[in-house]
Amino acid sequence: MSPVALMQRVQDLKIDWIAITDHNSMANCPAYEKVAGDFGIAFTWGVEIQTAEEIHLLAYFDDHSQAQEFDKLLYSSLLPLQNDADFFGDQVVIDENENIIKLEERALINSSIWGVDEAVDMIRNHDGYCMPAHIDATANSIISQLGFIPNPEMFDAFGITAKCNVEAYKQQVPYLETNSLIRSSDAHYLADMGSGWTKFYVEKPVMEEIMLTVSGTNGRLISI
Amino acid sequence: MILLSEYIAAIDGVNITPVMDAAKIELSSGYVCDMLSDVMGSAKSGQAWITIMKHLNVIAVASMTGIPVIIFAKSSNPDQAVIDKAVEEEICLVQSSKTAFELSGILYQMLN
Repeated sequence: MSPVALMQRVQDLKIDWIAITDHNSMANCPAYEKVAGDFGIAFTWGVEIQTAEEIHLLAYFDDHSQAQEFDKLLYSSLLPLQNDADFFGDQVVIDENENIIKLEERALINSSIWGVDEAVDMIRNHDGYCMPAHIDATANSIISQLGFIPNPEMFDAFGITAKCNVEAYKQQVPYLETNSLIRSSDAHYLADMGSGWTKFYVEKPVMEEIMLTVSGTNGRLISI
Repeated sequence: MILLSEYIAAIDGVNITPVMDAAKIELSSGYVCDMLSDVMGSAKSGQAWITIMKHLNVIAVASMTGIPVIIFAKSSNPDQAVIDKAVEEEICLVQSSKTAFELSGILYQMLN
């Protein structure tokens, strides 16, 4: 998705704050952040890590230099396979004007050699926040891969899909606080933008504040 | 029925939980899957579970389903914490350099 088209759609949908979480890379965050700034949309750097267990784990960063350090380590932890561009498309890194500044050759679709526990440690060591992605999905979710969430307290929050029926789903995961569920669109195409969203009542659009909504601190609110 | 010890010999496997006596474990069948949500719902006691998944949750799933042994394919190498938990839960862990396909084929032939 081109950053300008994406932000235009975000603006049309009256969404105030987005994160992009490409598969195993944050290389495109700088360009999208610049364009988001032009549109007055708050932007958070994120990445969807595919762990050795093929769990999709979301990591978000307020500190961009830490994010870049993390991104380098994540990159070197990816299995060294070439991207098959005919099958998966080219993996491009762009600038804010949509110029291609790099063609990524390593397959980002693949897994990291980090297991989920190791990945969480790496995120924490870089002041990042982490949540397992789309836990109600039947593939690549922590529950599909591991059967159940081994220790929920190791995560900051839990991602759910756009179509998740929270009332019904809560029966399956009674041990998770409703406040810790964050719904997002997981949009891969413009048409999917805004299909899932979460409302946050916070002082400013940073991940640290989202964590305060999860714990309901000082009047912060979250609703899905 | 075959003995786990016979199967380990046939696959050039190593019992990485030597306190568990493979000559006392009987196998009636096998199950092959890396998604634990599926294994939880479908695996049965008496089956050897062949997988490359090595997260600690494999022990809980084996314990829940009554699986007596996990066969780690392609030399998948669990952490010591996983081995310790297996011993605690009395589940045998075996490692082999063969693929899940080869491991299943050998088990299938021995059982039939």
